[in-house]
Amino acid sequence: MNFLALPVLIPLVSGALLLLLRRPMVRTVSSGVVAAVTFFVNASIAVRTWSGEVLTAQMADWPAPYGITLVADGLTGMMLFLSGLTGFLTVLFAGISLQQPSRRGQGPLLNRAREAFGSQALFQFLFMGVNMSFLTGDVFNLFVAFEVMLVASYGLLLIGGELPQLREGFKYVIVNLVASAIFVVAAGFAYGLFGSLNMADIAVRLSASGADPRVAVVAAMLALVFATKAALFPFGFWLPNAYPVPQAATSAFFAALLTKVGAYALIRCFTLMFPAEAELKMTILAFAGLTLLIGGFGAVSRRRWRHMLAFANVASIGYVVMGAFIGTVTGMSAALYYLVHSVLVVFALFLLAAIAERIAGESYRAEGHLDVYPWLGAGFFLASLALAGIPPTSGFIGKFALISSLFEAGGSLRFMVAGSAVLTSFLLLYACVKVWRDFFWGEADAVHRISLPRSMSMITGLGVGLLIVLTLASGPVYRLAEGVAGQLTENRSYLESVLVGALLVGEGD
Amino acid sequence: MAILLPLLVAVLIGAGVYLVLSRALIRLIIGLSMIAYGANLSILLAGAGTAQDAPPLLNTQGPYNDPLPQALILTAIVIGFGTTALLLVLSVRAYQATRTDHVQELVERLDPLEAPDAYADPERPSVSPEVGPDVEGTR
Repeated sequence: MNFLALPVLIPLVSGALLLLLRRPMVRTVSSGVVAAVTFFVNASIAVRTWSGEVLTAQMADWPAPYGITLVADGLTGMMLFLSGLTGFLTVLFAGISLQQPSRRGQGPLLNRAREAFGSQALFQFLFMGVNMSFLTGDVFNLFVAFEVMLVASYGLLLIGGELPQLREGFKYVIVNLVASAIFVVAAGFAYGLFGSLNMADIAVRLSASGADPRVAVVAAMLALVFATKAALFPFGFWLPNAYPVPQAATSAFFAALLTKVGAYALIRCFTLMFPAEAELKMTILAFAGLTLLIGGFGAVSRRRWRHMLAFANVASIGYVVMGAFIGTVTGMSAALYYLVHSVLVVFALFLLAAIAERIAGESYRAEGHLDVYPWLGAGFFLASLALAGIPPTSGFIGKFALISSLFEAGGSLRFMVAGSAVLTSFLLLYACVKVWRDFFWGEADAVHRISLPRSMSMITGLGVGLLIVLTLASGPVYRLAEGVAGQLTENRSYLESVLVGALLVGEGD
Repeated sequence: MAILLPLLVAVLIGAGVYLVLSRALIRLIIGLSMIAYGANLSILLAGAGTAQDAPPLLNTQGPYNDPLPQALILTAIVIGFGTTALLLVLSVRAYQATRTDHVQELVERLDPLEAPDAYADPERPSVSPEVGPDVEGTR
């Protein structure tokens, strides 16, 4: 079943080959085709996993605890599906928006220099890292996947070399290098402690051995690393200024998916390897509540499109992590539903922001665009309802499920977190209302209509359309999330399919 | 002897953190690589106590050192090499753009518009000049 390696191999090979192509148009088209193929492969893996099956592939046929295992369970399938979908749209959007120079030559937005240095190849390497971190079942391989992903993201963040990019890129690289050093140490300690780096093997050995304070240290180190990647409260300071500086498509993919990789790793780590670390999980829940507040207040404070959305993205991470660390199956399924929703809503909002920035520059304080660009207004209206969680959008369903499962679980900390979740929803709504007031309403005298590339509008329309689809398909998606949450909590099928035959050896140790 | 290696790790990481907190760019980068070396050594330490038997797949006798931590370190060294190279290039580029290697000045010079007040935005002058420099929320 080595087709599990395809989501890693296709972007790797094509990324290298893309560097050889000279014409920008050819590069964009071939990168788009490759991304479409990756999406197809990811989706077919995802559909197989959603029936409850856990797919595994042992690299080079080394049996599980010794070799590197690729595993795809329901959660992996979900993430692969989302990364394939947003990746495909990102590649197209990046290619198109670079083909058409913008009217005002707005500095940090779009220019040809960014494409000339091979951003399409970097996108492919980024997809490779992202897919590998979803698929891998090995702690050290997860580190390698993170590094592949991060190095590609350094490149994408810095490409173009403008001054704000240098400034934020520097911080981004340094923060991530320190986090990576901690990750290496944690992986080394995990090996020293458990004698294995395979996540399933570690899980089995841990459940056999019982409580050990050293385990909590390793778990806390891993949590710190993943919280940094996910921009969770005390470690998320680097995100809000870094994500608005690269080109629009890069921002969109970073916000929609890159931070969710951290959330995914947190969920995987604490459902599979350390489900027993109750104190640590409560701490992460509290941090998630604070992350929500930071995201909400930050979104209100900013007056530029992508700065505001970067904070909204921080808040969405807060919601996902909060749900996942409530500690109940209902909470987990609400978190997974919200994860799907937040990837799509953040992606759609960033695409809308890209168009708005092309029209009027980075700040959203430019009145009167509703009359001139009614469809942009309609798209933003829908997406902001979904972001704030107003019924009937998918955001409402997700937030309602999250907050009701918080109350179901009870406890003073959970009530406080629920309070901050509700407050953050209001803050996000207020931030969206501000955009509506400052950008869409008002006199349209100063606004001139510029022609947008039709394909750019079409992709953005598709992004918003996905939100409508998610709202209409809420029932099936929610049932899927429940199934995946059940599989994560109960774990047995994951362990058995990874450690075929080796399970008894692990338990006998 | 057993205390020497942990002590070395502590010194490396301590010196690394000290250098990262200093304000010269090149010290920062050297500090980051010292942290990386400390991390690599600590993997060697962590793996030292686990498996002293022969690797399971070799048909030889006698105690062997566990090769896996060394493989991990090798991977980490390669990755660290790449990222350090990137960081050096980045700092050269930042130096060319700003003519300083002082971190604080660097940040300010890299984006003079943003550095004094990163939380408020420069107003767009082209829009509604009659309102003047309005304050957020008063309209």
